[in-house]
This record gives sequence, C-alpha cells and structure tokens, in this order.
Amino acid sequence: MKRRSFLRGLGLAAAASTVVVPSMVMAAEAPKGPNAFSIDAAVQAITGGKPVVASPKVHLKAPEIAENGAVVPVTIEVDSPMTEDDYVKAIHVFATKNSNVRCADVMLTPANGKAMLATRVKLGTSQDVMALIETSKGEFLSASQNVKVTIGGCG
Amino acid sequence: MGKRKSLIKIKPKKYKTGEVVKVSFMVMHPMDTGMRKDKKTGKIVPAHYINEVVFSFNGKPFTTMKTWESLSTNPVFTIYFTVPGKGELTVVYKDNQGEVNEKSKKIKPKG
Repeated sequence: MKRRSFLRGLGLAAAASTVVVPSMVMAAEAPKGPNAFSIDAAVQAITGGKPVVASPKVHLKAPEIAENGAVVPVTIEVDSPMTEDDYVKAIHVFATKNSNVRCADVMLTPANGKAMLATRVKLGTSQDVMALIETSKGEFLSASQNVKVTIGGCG
Repeated sequence: MGKRKSLIKIKPKKYKTGEVVKVSFMVMHPMDTGMRKDKKTGKIVPAHYINEVVFSFNGKPFTTMKTWESLSTNPVFTIYFTVPGKGELTVVYKDNQGEVNEKSKKIKPKG
C-alpha cells in the first residue's frame, strides 16, 4: 500500500509540474494588460462576453499566399459614416496562431474621417488574420482571412 | 541608440481644409520578439518593440495605438485624417525599453 500511494503521489506531482511550470513561465513572460495567449481569451478580454458578428461591413485585405511571413501587409477598412453619433471606436488586429496573438489596437475618433488601418504584420505560420471592430454603439464586428505563409517570419 | 529614422507621408500632397487625407507613418525599428537568437553569439535577443503610437494634431490626440511584437520590422501605420486647418501633426511613439521619440509635420492646406 505504501508503495502504491507513493507512486500515485509521484505521478500526480509529475503531472502537476508538467502542467503548472509552462503556464507559470507564460504568466511571467506575459506583458501587462489584457493580453492573452489564446485567440478566444484575447477576444473575450476585449468584448467582455458580448457577441461578435462577422460582418460584410468590415473589409480585410491580406495576401492569400505570403512568400515571406516577416512582412505581410494587412489593410482593414470599415464602412462607417464616422460622425459623432456613429463611428468606429477601435480596430483590433489579431494573428490567430502567433505566440502573441495581438498585433495592434487602434483607437479612432470622428476626426479620422474614414475608418481604415493599413499596417504590416509578422506571421509565424499559415494562419487566419482577424480584425475585431468596436463601434461607438457597443457592437462588435469581425472579419478574418486565411494567409498561407511559405517562410515563417518569427525566429 | 540615438534618434530613429521615421517619416510621415501625406497623400495626396495638395489638400484643402476639410479634406480626408491618408497619413502614413513609417519608422525604422527592429521589433524584436524576444524569441530570435543572435546567429553570431547564440544569445537570445531581448524583446524590443513599439508598444504605443499616438497621432495628434496641435497637441490634441486623435488616434492612439497599442501595438505588440507581432508587427513587422520597420512598421508602417496608415490611417485617414480629416484636415481641420493649419497646424502641426505629431506622432509620438514609445517602445518597451523606454525609448520615446516623436516626429512632426506641418499641415498647410491650400484653400
């Protein structure tokens, strides 16, 4: 009995250490703020549980095949009047399979005139690039596109 | 490190008050993720990336960005902007190693 309980304890300890240690390391490396390593958790942190609607108003332009993952141009445009009552508050850009899924959060104001962001991201592997839009009415819209990467850009 | 090279481009070049123009801001920055190894020394290059970019006109910020290491090396940020009149467009950018730099451009609308 002693041997059995000892072994069981050992197994549990081993399982616990394998599970706990990587998460602890991740927690130590994680930057401050609502930053998460999984795309679902990151979206959850921003929306606070509100539903996200895939909308045709959001136009995400990215190459279908990127030869070099280190530089992938991404353009996000949103159909919005950009007036004081109805404007795009924020554009969040995600790379769903990077080790840090968040690329950029852009807070816009009616002074912008048009809701657009063009930037360049790094992609480690072939993955979806996702845009999450927050409007001034509190709605969350999204769009995503798959990008095939022939040479990864991370590391 | 000294001052970083950066550039603000406005398209089209000639614009009027109230017109919506494209503002591109480019900056030379390594944007290291903290995962890459230096090929010569074999040591891991520490993370070094821009984490905040603020666009302001005459001291009033109109667009703020939070960014992470997933952006490419030498990133470009392009947004639209309605020209309210004469003034100065300033972009302030900070990185995770405490560097703060800024770049400004005069806005001179014609007509």
